[in-house]
Amino acid sequence: MGCSASSAGKSSGLVRGSTLENSGMSDSKNLRIKLVLLGDSGVGKSCIVLRFVRGQFDPSSKVTVGASFLSQTIALQDSTTVKFEIWDTAGQERYASLAPLYYRGASAAVIVYDITCMETFHKAQFWVKELQKHGNPNIVMALVGNKADLEESRSVGHDVAQAYADANGMFLIETSAKTADNINQLFEEIAKRLPRTTPLQT
Amino acid sequence: METDSARESGEEENGFTQPEIGDDDIDNVAEDFRDGLGLLSPKEKTMEERRNGTLDSDNDSDDNSRIRTVDENGNADDSSRIEVEEGQSDSSRIEVEEGQSDSSRIEVEEGQADSNRQIAEFSSENNNFVEGHKEISEAREHLEDDFSEQEIEVEAPTSPSSSGYAGGRGSSSAASIGSASGSEEIRDALRSGDGVTECFGNGNGEHRGQASWAHGKRYSNEDETSISWRKRKKHFFVLSHSGKPIYSRYGDEHKLAGFSATLQAIVSFVENGGDHIKLVRAGNHQIIFLVKGPIYLVCISCTEEPFQALKGQLELLYDQMLLILTKSIDKCFEKNSKFDMTPLLGGTDVVFSSLIHAFSWNPATYLHAYTCLPLRHSTRQAAGAILQDVADSGVLFAILMCRHKVISLFGAQKAILHPDDMLLLSNFVLSSESFRTSESFSPICLPQFNPMAFLYAYVQYLGVDTYLMLLTTDSDSFFHLKECRIRIENVLVKSNVLSEVQRSMLDGCLRVEDLPGDPTLPSDSLSFRLRRDKNLQVAGSSTGTGRNTGIGGPAGLWHFMYRSNYLDQYVASEFSPPINSRNAQKRLFRAYQKLHTSMHDKDVGPHKMQYRKDENYVLLCWITQEFELYAAFDPLAEKSSAITVCNRVCQWLRDVESEIFLLEASPLSW
Repeated sequence: MGCSASSAGKSSGLVRGSTLENSGMSDSKNLRIKLVLLGDSGVGKSCIVLRFVRGQFDPSSKVTVGASFLSQTIALQDSTTVKFEIWDTAGQERYASLAPLYYRGASAAVIVYDITCMETFHKAQFWVKELQKHGNPNIVMALVGNKADLEESRSVGHDVAQAYADANGMFLIETSAKTADNINQLFEEIAKRLPRTTPLQT
Repeated sequence: METDSARESGEEENGFTQPEIGDDDIDNVAEDFRDGLGLLSPKEKTMEERRNGTLDSDNDSDDNSRIRTVDENGNADDSSRIEVEEGQSDSSRIEVEEGQSDSSRIEVEEGQADSNRQIAEFSSENNNFVEGHKEISEAREHLEDDFSEQEIEVEAPTSPSSSGYAGGRGSSSAASIGSASGSEEIRDALRSGDGVTECFGNGNGEHRGQASWAHGKRYSNEDETSISWRKRKKHFFVLSHSGKPIYSRYGDEHKLAGFSATLQAIVSFVENGGDHIKLVRAGNHQIIFLVKGPIYLVCISCTEEPFQALKGQLELLYDQMLLILTKSIDKCFEKNSKFDMTPLLGGTDVVFSSLIHAFSWNPATYLHAYTCLPLRHSTRQAAGAILQDVADSGVLFAILMCRHKVISLFGAQKAILHPDDMLLLSNFVLSSESFRTSESFSPICLPQFNPMAFLYAYVQYLGVDTYLMLLTTDSDSFFHLKECRIRIENVLVKSNVLSEVQRSMLDGCLRVEDLPGDPTLPSDSLSFRLRRDKNLQVAGSSTGTGRNTGIGGPAGLWHFMYRSNYLDQYVASEFSPPINSRNAQKRLFRAYQKLHTSMHDKDVGPHKMQYRKDENYVLLCWITQEFELYAAFDPLAEKSSAITVCNRVCQWLRDVESEIFLLEASPLSW
């Protein structure tokens, strides 16, 4: 795999498994799920993924082109593993029309906004609507307020976001890719919420 | 070389001492701007000045005063000596006399009829920008009157060949293929509302080995009123036909709305006269216009590059934009002529600035050829075999590159990859840092292949500088391409290709010092690397007779560049002393560029051979059906020995062609 896990390993209760190339199958013990990150440009989607997959944070922002593909396997306490196949999409407007390519068949979607920028929250709402309309009906959606370390310049209130998330059947989590705060918890929570009985398509 | 250019070079030297400034900033730093031009306050600028972008008032630098010092050295056969007129050949011109700036020349394209001259006089009194528009329309009236009186023959709509307008190359043939998908995507993109243009800081330039070169937009705080902005030597602008800014090399596009409107006014002013504007000369500035449907591209330059070269750069800039958006962007303008394109290009400043940087170092930008990384024939074959294997499995193009050099490539049957597309694609990948982070799957358009449709590019770095691009028409084939990449990578690792690539990067390319001595000796089968080692030994043991080790090749050969016309590939020697400073390299680059333009000048050429001498070099260019050879010599080099050496270079390249060129796959258009 192009992206091997360098264990950031601070997550409680998580054991990082090495990524299995082409493990191919999902069974009840070993889930393999497609996850897509959506959100406006510059909110930190790639930073969240790189923090989760490689335990790294690179403050120099690199504009994603098209979409990047990374994967990471986590082991849960109930001895099941979940392999996330993550599509980190570009936030630029010109790629918006291509998003269906990446969210089609996804079991989980992480919709990211920047807590210091209200406009990105509006964009997040756009993506929520888009997924409700065209996404997988059982998709697990997470609303993620990133850059939580910049509390002093917050402009999207936690309660506002919470109310929106509740109204749309999502869970809200505020993260900081910079400090790694809540990053693993985000993916852990998604893993917990995934339906276990039905076979998942990828 | 021309006297002006010598002066410029001297100044470049000064500018270059500022280490944090790269490439064309050499150009930008403090050229002495005459006439206190930069010191005028914005309000004092006349409309004309803005229009010309340059604002020279008195220094009427007549083109013909530029000197071509083509030395007729010796009295050898005339065929090898061609004097080249640098100025524009006389197509018809409109000379616009303006109050304060004399003799700005507007050259307009006119079908086949030339040599109509038209002089329109109008005065410029208003300094205010807003009133400038009035002036434009006044001027237009003047010109229209004159046109009607004197019957200028303008380009007939039925002669498409002569028009830059709507001249999407190859678009007509390719328009039908997959146009639907492309246009839909753009349309969808439109629906999704306004995006935010992303700002990004300067990363590390990844063109290692190039001089410092910052990422992204530089000097975005500048606008048309900034003195620093006005002093930049080479501006590039892209704007829409409604005058909305799309891209500016320097300064924030949005702050340049007024300036864009002015450029738009000039274009439409001439178009209303039933003509197309190509070039305005003002002092030593050239303003080149390229109209591509609803998109206008403008270059304002005082770098003395030939018009044809600058026009070619605008073409590439346009194609780079198509690579990102496809030509179906035109449809957005059909629906809404005031369409704002900037959000769609969010985050791509770095791609354009990298391309513009390439205009001053990468010969591929005017040779329309690509270059290969030197490798043993067997190594390249091993790479080619596995690429061919995947190309047969439904991949449209499989391209393995190291920086801007090709290791190997393969196309599916009948798929033709144009060198310009390769240049733009590799520029796109190299300039976008995110490709280095992880494997990517991204829509791109190859403008020469099909300007209307997106392809999907799987991109993955296999080493620090080595990257694999797999192109497909199928948007769902990511996992297939991923498997292909794993197979390719395994083979490349097993057959040591990747380590050979690293070694080749360290070794560099051909060196003029290694040019084999006597061409009459049978050339051995040693690779040029081995031969180089041997030569070094010889040089060490004896005082190499006739070889100037360390100061270039035999007979004062400093550098050469060879383009194979059959392969659409070129090879250039490594820079040797004294061409070792970045500045000297750029000067040579520009000299070659000028030579290339003059050799291919349609009005007086094409030529077969040119021998040109000035205080910097002896330049020799030789074009046959098979190849183009450009060589630079010590200015004291003798002509006869220079010609002999050129023959030896050609022989040498033939001997090592399997290492320096990609011979197996010929997916290109020949």
